[in-house]
Amino acid sequence: MTVMSRRNLFAHAARFAAGITVFAAAPACAFSPLPALPTRSMPATEARIAWLRLLPDGRVRLLLPRQEMGQGVSVALRQIVAEELEVELERIEVVLPDTAAIAPVKSTVGSDSVKDFAEPVARAAALLREHLRHGGHAAEIIDRGQPVTLRSLQPDVAHRHVGQARPTEQIAAIVTGAPAVYAGDIRLPGMMFGLVLPAGATVAAGDDNVRLVDLPDGRRGLLSAHPGPLHARAAGIERARTPKPMPAMDVDVAQARGRLEHRLRNDSVNAAAGWTLDRRYDIPFAAHAAIEPRTAVARWRPDDPVRLEVWTGTQDAFFVRETLARQFGLSVDSVLVHSCRIGGGFGARTIVRAELEAALLAQVAGHPVKVQWTRAAEFIDGFHRPPSSHRIRARLDNDGRITDWWHGFCSGHVIFTSAAMPRWMQAVTGFVKDPGVARGAMPPYAAARMRVEFSDIRLPVDTGPWRGLGAGPNGYAIESAIDELASIAGQDPLQFRLANLDPQHGRLRACLERVAQLADWTGAKAGGTGRGIACGIYKDTSYAAVIADVTVGADGAVRVTRLYCAQDSGRIINPDQVRAQIEGNLLWGLGMVLTERLPIEDGRVAAYTFADSPIPTMDAMPAIDIALIEPPGAMPAGAGETAMVAVAAIGNAIAAATGRRLTVLPYRPA
Amino acid sequence: MLLTINGREADIPDARAGDPLLWVLRETLGLTGTKFGCGQGLCGACTVHLDGAAIRSCQISAGDAAGHSIVTIEGLVGETLHPVQQAWIAESVPQCGYCQAGQIMAAVALLRETPKPDDAAIDAAMAGNLCRCGTYQRIRKAIHRAAGQPS
Repeated sequence: MTVMSRRNLFAHAARFAAGITVFAAAPACAFSPLPALPTRSMPATEARIAWLRLLPDGRVRLLLPRQEMGQGVSVALRQIVAEELEVELERIEVVLPDTAAIAPVKSTVGSDSVKDFAEPVARAAALLREHLRHGGHAAEIIDRGQPVTLRSLQPDVAHRHVGQARPTEQIAAIVTGAPAVYAGDIRLPGMMFGLVLPAGATVAAGDDNVRLVDLPDGRRGLLSAHPGPLHARAAGIERARTPKPMPAMDVDVAQARGRLEHRLRNDSVNAAAGWTLDRRYDIPFAAHAAIEPRTAVARWRPDDPVRLEVWTGTQDAFFVRETLARQFGLSVDSVLVHSCRIGGGFGARTIVRAELEAALLAQVAGHPVKVQWTRAAEFIDGFHRPPSSHRIRARLDNDGRITDWWHGFCSGHVIFTSAAMPRWMQAVTGFVKDPGVARGAMPPYAAARMRVEFSDIRLPVDTGPWRGLGAGPNGYAIESAIDELASIAGQDPLQFRLANLDPQHGRLRACLERVAQLADWTGAKAGGTGRGIACGIYKDTSYAAVIADVTVGADGAVRVTRLYCAQDSGRIINPDQVRAQIEGNLLWGLGMVLTERLPIEDGRVAAYTFADSPIPTMDAMPAIDIALIEPPGAMPAGAGETAMVAVAAIGNAIAAATGRRLTVLPYRPA
Repeated sequence: MLLTINGREADIPDARAGDPLLWVLRETLGLTGTKFGCGQGLCGACTVHLDGAAIRSCQISAGDAAGHSIVTIEGLVGETLHPVQQAWIAESVPQCGYCQAGQIMAAVALLRETPKPDDAAIDAAMAGNLCRCGTYQRIRKAIHRAAGQPS
């Protein structure tokens, strides 16, 4: 057996006319035991996933087991492969694979991508490296758990790629407006343009060659050879206006009816004695508001084994494939889904809407059809972050330690979204706690007795996963309450947190100390300017602390002037992409406090444009300082949703500046 | 009907004259770099230049754009990338990237009017271009970089 030098590693590859395929082992979590959405059936038993291919010309193709929506997973996994193979980044070609190219993997959600896929991808690359180095002749390599050194994840070695800042994949295509990056860029011969009318909607007639058609599922749609007339007609869609009863999202009403449904912790708190703090927090509906509307292109191919072909930006291409196959009575192999870069995901692209609509319309049209939702449809026919209502009661001892903590809350559904569940299943899930609502509800503080409980309430407006799920709302309530407790105890909010943190959360302590240093924290300033701090843990593995500076104008208008964040998401593959995720999170926190509230009237969404449901604009963006903490030996954790705690930091800064606690989001001048 | 796009003349069927320029660019001419975000002139994803000024291509008909010089994101590239495009890469601006063609077109128009904008001028000029990923801080830095001044 020859052992190849690094330089010869890829010269050797030329011997393989068909290249070498590496079948990576699926990470333990690739097939979620609890599917992210209940309608999603479990993938079959394919446990091996072809993710890596050495091409005869010596390049290596990485078939991404994830979707790209700007979170940077493509470049991070590419860096890992280049590191393992000891080659330049340019040698690695990254492909968003279609559903025929790899075996099913779970949806791209929950900041899981680097956390769960770094290691299997590194193993695949390392196995290829060792195979080449030892002059192996196999055309296929299968990861059977054989021992192999993962250079990319070793803590104490010098890395060429891992730990380096690299821009997102496709950046050159993005800044030049190159073709075929997003689903809407796909153009097929004979393609038509279509939209499906929401149930109960009507549309005015027109002399514009836009056809009103009946769809096989009972809905109606519009079809046109050109998008201009189609969208002009769509502007005249009149949706049903019958009022729908909207249940009160009121934790006090829910608690008055009896016990809340689900308990995350059920210590017996002493409810008879007085509380140090008894405070309610209310959070409204909010939209995802990705700039790319839901988009898909579908083509039927009657004489081909692949009967239906779809292009889409989705967080779960396999769920799309399965849903379409079921809908049209096809085998999954005869449905092919091409993944395109997503123009903003944030949880909104987890169910199947535009894809099915494009396929239905294409069937009726006898042509390929492109569907691009209108902005009004994005607001009205999409699903949204549910409103929630929280009551936190807490008691301090004489030393300012929390002895009792009781957080009761109610919320619309998140994981058990009505947007993707049949009615019978919605009834069944009433007995199961929605893990999305529960996310982030356990405080990182030590208290002798804790009771954390909630009810989820089925709403007439569809709700579902929104960046961070419950972590944003729960973090806001918890960290606002902690801040007020510090104030009541007469303690500095940083010191109060450090004193009350559960000792097991040393990494969160380190974030608090680091952000305090970064911001030169000396306490919450008051009188016109204010400073607030907050911290939190995301999914038990990622830690962040944020400090916000705000000024309040004479008219009560709040301006966030600066945000500081220290975050520990474990091992960092690409610090620039982690920073970008944090920047985005901080702005989402800012939007949650100052801007976002999806208006609802008569149990229906009442927003048609960005003017009706605004999101933060550039003038709202403060200067941002970020410190990344990377404990030696830590494995990568999710980075995309931890810094949502900014919402509470900003709220606490407003309280410091105005003396008024922000208990209803978003902030409105008194 | 003739449109002047990126320095070239494009012949458009007269039937498309009433359509928003955005759709004619994207689907009649295949210039898909200009994005559809809202169709209501409120997000900026469809920003192009009309005689050098940044406009929302969803808010002007193709017919009304005839006789004017239209430049799209595809027309910015010359021998090399435009300095603003280069700055976008150097500052690693995009996340999902969907709004960025519009952001770049708005930034190029801003720098033509105001070669050395301060943060306030940048915010004022760019506030109509929405980014949901949160790249605003990097956009500011990239504009300063393209202007040849420290951010």
